[in-house]
Amino acid sequence: MQNRFPKPDFESGYLYPEPHYPIPHEALWSYIDVGVLLLLMSFVAWAIIKKQVRWPVTLTSVLSVAYFGFFRQGCVCSIGAIQNVALAWTTPSYSLPLYVLLFFLLPVLFALFWGRVFCAGVCPFGALQDLVHVKNYKLSKAVTGALSTFPWIYLGFALLFAVTNSQFILCRFDPFVGIFRLGGEGALILFGVLLLFFSIFTGRPFCRFICPYGAILGLFSQISFRKISITKQECINCQLCHNACPVDAIRPPYVNKVKERRAAGVHRILRYMIFTPVIIIAGSTVMYVLSDKFSKANKEVQLYEAVMQNEARPQEVQSLELQAFYGQGRAKEELWTEVEVIKKEFRIWSGIIGAFIGLIISLTLINLSAKRTRKSYEIDHAKCVCCGRCFSYCPQNQKNIISV
Amino acid sequence: MKRTISRNIAVVSAIFMIAFSIMLIVNYFQVNGSDTTQSEAMEQLKQANEENGNNPLLQEQIRRLDLLARKAYFISLNRLKVGMAILLAMAGIFVISIRVYLAKSKEIPDKDIDPIDDWLIKSKTRRYLVWAAAGVTLGGLLFALLTSPYLKNTLQPKKTPDITVGPDMQEVPEMEHIVPISETAKVVAKDEVEIKAETEATAIPIETSKVTHNGFRGNHSLGISNATHIPTSWNLSSGKNILWKVKTPRQGFNSPVINGNKVFFSGADDNARELYCYELNSGIELWRLRVQPLSGSPHQMPEISDETGLAASGVATNGKQVCAIFATGELICADIEGKQLWAKNIGVPDNHYGFASSLLIFQDLLIIQYDNLNAPRVIALDVATGNRRWTKERPERNPSWSSPIIATVDNKPQLILVGNPGITAYNPNTGEAYWRVECMSGEPAASPAYANGIVFGAAEYADMTAISAADGSVLWKADDFLPEVSSPVATKEFVFVATSYGVVASYDAQTGALVKYMELATEFYSSPIIAEGKIYLISNSGAVYIFSAKSDFELITSFETGERTYATPAFTDKKVVIRTEEHIYCAEVK
Repeated sequence: MQNRFPKPDFESGYLYPEPHYPIPHEALWSYIDVGVLLLLMSFVAWAIIKKQVRWPVTLTSVLSVAYFGFFRQGCVCSIGAIQNVALAWTTPSYSLPLYVLLFFLLPVLFALFWGRVFCAGVCPFGALQDLVHVKNYKLSKAVTGALSTFPWIYLGFALLFAVTNSQFILCRFDPFVGIFRLGGEGALILFGVLLLFFSIFTGRPFCRFICPYGAILGLFSQISFRKISITKQECINCQLCHNACPVDAIRPPYVNKVKERRAAGVHRILRYMIFTPVIIIAGSTVMYVLSDKFSKANKEVQLYEAVMQNEARPQEVQSLELQAFYGQGRAKEELWTEVEVIKKEFRIWSGIIGAFIGLIISLTLINLSAKRTRKSYEIDHAKCVCCGRCFSYCPQNQKNIISV
Repeated sequence: MKRTISRNIAVVSAIFMIAFSIMLIVNYFQVNGSDTTQSEAMEQLKQANEENGNNPLLQEQIRRLDLLARKAYFISLNRLKVGMAILLAMAGIFVISIRVYLAKSKEIPDKDIDPIDDWLIKSKTRRYLVWAAAGVTLGGLLFALLTSPYLKNTLQPKKTPDITVGPDMQEVPEMEHIVPISETAKVVAKDEVEIKAETEATAIPIETSKVTHNGFRGNHSLGISNATHIPTSWNLSSGKNILWKVKTPRQGFNSPVINGNKVFFSGADDNARELYCYELNSGIELWRLRVQPLSGSPHQMPEISDETGLAASGVATNGKQVCAIFATGELICADIEGKQLWAKNIGVPDNHYGFASSLLIFQDLLIIQYDNLNAPRVIALDVATGNRRWTKERPERNPSWSSPIIATVDNKPQLILVGNPGITAYNPNTGEAYWRVECMSGEPAASPAYANGIVFGAAEYADMTAISAADGSVLWKADDFLPEVSSPVATKEFVFVATSYGVVASYDAQTGALVKYMELATEFYSSPIIAEGKIYLISNSGAVYIFSAKSDFELITSFETGERTYATPAFTDKKVVIRTEEHIYCAEVK
């Protein structure tokens, strides 16, 4: 907006009103947000763990979209809070607001106790996708399996740009916030609309293939104390729940019929284990090599490049950043010193993040190399978003209702 | 029945959404694409306002246009928001209706598209993952390799200098930068500078005015400055209001120019041609750039009048580059830190007094009025690279010493050149001639003046001719008092001239009637400049005359500076920089 409306070039005689600063009430709303978050997560946890019913999840989804989405306009959100926490962790001078920390921690704590109840309908992004989901068309499991590593990679990049104090890319490229705010960057709104369109036919594409917070919650959900179950009765392997799950989080029974020597399977796993350091080093190296490119996301680096470009070929109309730089009388050398420090940080963190991405890929490959036998339908708790759709499909639950 | 209704609602809402989305997208691009507060019309109005010394009518026009643009923006923004809300509501209706329509199919979930063979799926997933990871890794490495500075330098073809710049223009790709900014230079310069301020004062951050004086007679060479708080008296002998005074390293009649805290001018003799940069606030020499032997430069200096010299042409800057031209045809351009960007010889001008037309920078164009007996032409070069943008042959078969100006006519720039016999208006971006009036004779040295849609050209052995810049029609002619060297300056109401025989006169700009004249018993070569509603004029003997810039101009004050002066002073807030025969000095309000 500042770019769009520069101040007039000459005095018009108009007297600018005295700036008036109202007493901030944002803090109050922030704590109301935390209260609503707690309340809704508790409500969902009660519904899916204790009662095994879906209607509270739908109700929560409507409330969440209305409150966290349209009313609070999608901020603060737990997904974006990852970056605040990461920045606060590496930058002592950055003061992390308590409510932001709570937004990050509370869903994790709930996941540790009851699974991804936050994703079920409390997260406005997940809720919005869930509400528009109409018909569940299945996607190739091999493709979705490979795509499920992407949230971790996205998480890695989000951390890289956050800890280097460059950009909060999770907020910058948020596809739904433009919809909630009824305006924003056209391309992102279009992306959000496309995600919603696909959500009509397949469950929650954003949650499954993009959301890094979902990946973190999935990790905790696997070790949660009280896990969601499809039915409290004995599974009759009817397959209905598996077909109904919009996020492919129900694994069918499987008996290993592959004729393979045990040693061959062990060798395969060992091979991946041995290659793990190689993959980690490769990831780290690639990211290190590209660190200079990543550093261009930093404002100071961008400014330095703009200054150098302007020095080489002066521009008739200078950007506001350049005007500010020259207006402040800052020296190029001083800026270069700052840029060197930033670039060094980028090299270090890119290497670390690259290693992290390499590790994720290795662990996924190892995990995919193990054969596991299942006798009945089981929930993959890392993937399960606790939407509760499976409850009504299970004939055992119907029997239970009838008996009641 | 219920299913049919819901299906129909879903279809209607879907059609509505698609149509509405298209409308919203169009609106979105309208809102984001247009930037009417910085439109071309607005910029031209601002430029016209700047050139017309903050004209209240123009300012009012700018305000109205600005307000209109802002209102239009917010109305469109509001439409976009309301449209989004409607679209969301329709999306809600669509989802609900389609859910109702598909409610029956709930009990028959879709089957897996994969056979439920866990191991097969895992194996495929592994394969996809390995290929994707390998692809991304290789892609990343390839990208890093292709964009590495080393490879860029190796792969990019080396650019050869543009050698198609004209029949007698010759390029020299590299020249030595003689004296960069160095402590030594500063110390040497300090010895030469009669600085009144304490040396420590230079360490204090100095406020620099935004008012520039980028060429001969100021910006666009119109003889009008926006400077304020200009000193109205100073004296070189007593040092009154003199901030600094420095002996010029080499001779030159060219006028200084000011941009920020830098003063630029040039000097030349038989031994060297040089461009200088001095610090405005201290008079310390920051750098000098000497012309190195160029292909096409004469071994012997051309024979020219001592009254012109080798460095009579004014330098020009845009705050990023600064350029100078000499009577040898040598042209150099440096960045403002003194690093040479390019140099070339455009051919020795065949001119019996010596070349004197000053340079003009318009946007990214360096404009040279190259009127001489051998291939007269007007040349526009890229100021950053020296590459030719356009060249136009001129029908003037006699040399002139006049300099180009830029006039903004109906929000469009016109490049105005006075020659013998024509006054010509060009499009500065293309060189296309807008109009031409053949009305000059003798040896035109005075540059044209422009104000309020009228171009004024004058020479001693011709007439003062007023031409409508819109169509090139002659409005009036007058011959009462005519300038020889000093250029006229114009306002909406009058044209002011200073003659070489000591008469200063004003003409009615609309009718050409002589309004008033004064005989001052001196000579004027320096050109008058209008600033703060006053006309500043220096005589050859060094007397400063300050008149009120009204039609019945009154002499407000006059005083002797003590040194002969031919160059036109350069103005910025609180300061005037004046070049005398042997010195350059800065007068400041104290």
